[in-house]
Amino acid sequence: MVLKIRLARFGKRNAPFYNIVVAQARTARNSLPLEVLGTYDPIPRPAPPPGDGKPIKEIKLDTARAKYWLGVGAQPSAPAWRLLSMIGLMEPKYSIQKMQQTEAEQRATRGADTSEGR
Amino acid sequence: MFRWLNGPGSVFRHPLPGSTNYLNAYDRNGRLHRAKGPSLEKTEQKREKDQDEDDDDEEVDEDGEIIPKKTQKIKEAKIVETKDGPPLPKENTEDLMPFPLNRQFRSQHVLSEELKDAIYERVMVEGQSVRNVSAVLGVEMNRVGAVVRLKALEKEWEKQGKPIAVSYAKAVLRMLPSTPYVPNDPITHESINDLPVHRATEIQIFHPVSESRHFTRRDAGRVFDRELKPAEDRVPHTELVQLQKWRHEGIISEERQRLQREKDSKDVQSRKVLERKRKEREAREIKKVETERSEFRFQDIRVESVGRNGRSQDGVGARYGVPHQDRKKGQIKIPRRVA
Repeated sequence: MVLKIRLARFGKRNAPFYNIVVAQARTARNSLPLEVLGTYDPIPRPAPPPGDGKPIKEIKLDTARAKYWLGVGAQPSAPAWRLLSMIGLMEPKYSIQKMQQTEAEQRATRGADTSEGR
Repeated sequence: MFRWLNGPGSVFRHPLPGSTNYLNAYDRNGRLHRAKGPSLEKTEQKREKDQDEDDDDEEVDEDGEIIPKKTQKIKEAKIVETKDGPPLPKENTEDLMPFPLNRQFRSQHVLSEELKDAIYERVMVEGQSVRNVSAVLGVEMNRVGAVVRLKALEKEWEKQGKPIAVSYAKAVLRMLPSTPYVPNDPITHESINDLPVHRATEIQIFHPVSESRHFTRRDAGRVFDRELKPAEDRVPHTELVQLQKWRHEGIISEERQRLQREKDSKDVQSRKVLERKRKEREAREIKKVETERSEFRFQDIRVESVGRNGRSQDGVGARYGVPHQDRKKGQIKIPRRVA
């Protein structure tokens, strides 16, 4: 059966909090996983006083274990993929560069089509 | 009732400004005790005697409080000298009883606005440590912290243009005894070096020790609890104890000041080193990734921290099979420490 790296939602109503877990793909979302790799707090906390930087989202992750599970074929879900790609464990699915590139390519092919049509 | 209202009670129709206006400050005929001449001098003398005794006690106990107390006495004496004219002397402890039948209850002094400003100035502008400010001004460290926090909030509100009840605060402060701020020789506001009671010491223990054994306070503490340190290490201001030790050793005051300054600078250094190490560790362990809207902070953790059965308190993440206690009766929900 497929292993997934995915988020399990804990926390209260309007206050989500996720465990990043390794689990069998077909088990229930909050069932006991094989391993809890870390946590993800999606609610942004205001930046500490001196800087007026961007709000902060805290993630705790055991990178070594995440690498291991990816190595043995665990498949990240889309949100997990997004988080893992931030620290370079996965190739980002959507990056601005990539999207711009594909868009340019599409435009080029479309342009070629119309010129051929004439 | 009307006899009292028109007689001795009539003074309260126009309350004395800058005074608590407690009943106890007046005699049966409605005259202010401290405005009367001879009896006042007597009480002053008595008070000075009391304070002398206090000083003797304190010189045995600890340093730091002694100097300010003496200055307080001197200041009061000054007031006595100048009070021949219209200005009234300060209220003494006899005048500060709000309830005439409860002689144990005395109004405690509060911090004056100038003293609060001085505390904020010293901590936030001059960058002095809370410990230092507390020892110099004779205000508890907790109170110093609270004053700094509330003053910061007040300043923020002022910046935001929020209305502040200044006149209310002034009116209330005028009715309470307050500790004024004297820049050069500050008045002690309260006892700053009280020993907190440890749970382990709430019982009596009779612990026989052989005479040949060298049994110190440190050992006595260990009898109560393995972790219990001696009193001199548990008081809030351990440096004042050290100061007094130096005094007992006969070190002259300049030398003491030099030693103290050395110690202070060493403390500052070690604090800086700790801060630097903390930052380095943070930089090593926490990886920051900025996106368009927010900053993601990745902290590296160990999966094994959940323990064998996966339920250890130190583990990361929501536990499985452990119900929340937050709806249970008697749970404390307000934060109990500052993060």
